[in-house]
Amino acid sequence: MTTTSTPARSAAVVRGGSSGPSGSRFRASERRAGLVFALPVIVLEVLFLAVPLVQAVYYSFTRWDGLTSTWIGTANYTRLFGDPTFWRVVANNLLLLASVPFAIVIPLLVAYLLNEHVRGWRFFRSVYFLPTAISWVVIGMVSLRVFAAQGILNHTLDAVGLGFVNTDMLAGELSAMGAVAITFIWSVFGTNTIIFITGMATLDREVYEAARVDGASALTTFVRITIPMLMRFIQFAFILTLITAFTALFSLIFVMTGGGPGYGTTTLEFYVYQQGFKVGVFGYAAAIGIVLFVIVFGISLVQLRIFRSRLD
Amino acid sequence: MRIARRRIARSLIVLILCLVVVVMLFPFVFMLVNAFRSKDQYLAGSGFSLDSWKELFKYLPVAQQLLNSTIVTAGSVVLIILVSTTGGFAFSKLGFRGSSVVFLAILAGMMIPMQSIIIPEFVNIARVAHLHNQYLGAILVYSALGAPFATYLMTTYYRGVPSELIEASVIDGASFWDVFRKVMLPLSVPAITTVAVLQFIQVWDDLLVGLLFLNGPSVRTITVGLAVIQTGRVVNVPALMAGSLLSALPAIIVFLIFQRHLIQGLTMGVNK
Repeated sequence: MTTTSTPARSAAVVRGGSSGPSGSRFRASERRAGLVFALPVIVLEVLFLAVPLVQAVYYSFTRWDGLTSTWIGTANYTRLFGDPTFWRVVANNLLLLASVPFAIVIPLLVAYLLNEHVRGWRFFRSVYFLPTAISWVVIGMVSLRVFAAQGILNHTLDAVGLGFVNTDMLAGELSAMGAVAITFIWSVFGTNTIIFITGMATLDREVYEAARVDGASALTTFVRITIPMLMRFIQFAFILTLITAFTALFSLIFVMTGGGPGYGTTTLEFYVYQQGFKVGVFGYAAAIGIVLFVIVFGISLVQLRIFRSRLD
Repeated sequence: MRIARRRIARSLIVLILCLVVVVMLFPFVFMLVNAFRSKDQYLAGSGFSLDSWKELFKYLPVAQQLLNSTIVTAGSVVLIILVSTTGGFAFSKLGFRGSSVVFLAILAGMMIPMQSIIIPEFVNIARVAHLHNQYLGAILVYSALGAPFATYLMTTYYRGVPSELIEASVIDGASFWDVFRKVMLPLSVPAITTVAVLQFIQVWDDLLVGLLFLNGPSVRTITVGLAVIQTGRVVNVPALMAGSLLSALPAIIVFLIFQRHLIQGLTMGVNK
């Protein structure tokens, strides 16, 4: 990931017979062209990603309404860390993280079954992957009808004689978060299943045959062979799911609960939006955004380190 | 005995997989069935009518918003392909002083959550560039968000193209632009397709950027329009389902045609 093409390039130049000035001239023109070709993506990323990031850091130390800003030092951060609502929001993020193991284990088991290549397994795979194409808005829209007081879940419970456990899940803070978490697990199920299927396809079939000959049960081969050999893929899916939980659920929460009831389903990313665009305290919201950035960047660095160590 | 047991195990597997299919397909079936019911039929749980579609068109300028979605998505996909192919060519084959550092910096862009920069981004687009409620503003933001991964994908792909091919063309008198147009682009159609499919779904399905940067009923995308009437407490469920179906359909079609490319793009991150 970090290597450049430099060795290959200079090798090609040498092969092109570049012992003289023509070779270095070729290389100079190549470099000039390189800069020109890279310029569009560089300009785009600087203007719309790097500059706003620097601004976000700067404005997180100001009181800012979008027009004028006043430097107030770390006041936004002291206010933030002393704000019980902020800690409530962080706790919500941690609650969501509790759903990540389910979002890994269930796809892992299903991928294991799919890998048996029973008749029609390609069809199953396609169906499981389908939600990847659907927006969180549409998913949230349907999910709302499932968990509503007069919704499908309660109707189903009634129908099978379990009407007494009926609850209005979206009305309670914790249960509303549960509804969001279940929808989240449902949504990432397909992606993670595909990742694991791809991983299992790379495993050596002979290892399984050997284990079977030795009389190992399906459970033993799963725990002792499949999981250890899939570690790289499990880590990848884990990090991807973690980052999704932190940064991709805005639309789902927007449609399903609007962050409520109370602050029951407000996560960090939703809190940024609320404070910035509903309350209008841009500097304070920028500070929340920076906290989110630090967390996500930290997770990504851990991922990079894992991959680095695997490559060495 | 052994074969019988194996057969039972296989049937059990199929049974479990079918149960999962029910869970995964349920929302789609729910959407499909109820989009073609009136409000009363929805409550009764039976019947068939086109009422909810009429309702939907009353709530939502459907044609306009579908057009908005198409313009914004197409614009973003084209811009992303443009900068990621030229960038990929530069980072993989040409290089320049410090190109590896620049490449890493662009990759780091993948780690920036949109929400962390959304406020200055919004102020810049609205107050500095005066692009609020204009397609271009949203297209630039979507492109900046999508380009890092696309550039990574294209760079990795172009590294697999033999350098001798470029070398030979240049010696024959071709310019680097010619090489890019006549050698690199045609060779990378599969990778470009993957980028296009991934970004199409990303932009078509997005809410946050559209919600803030295209914030008027006439410029909204269909995904945003739908989310807004939902939170506007429109309780006509069948109409909402009709809207959901309509907004999901293009992405579903793209998915069904290009599923293989989508899987490739997804597993790029781990299959190196």
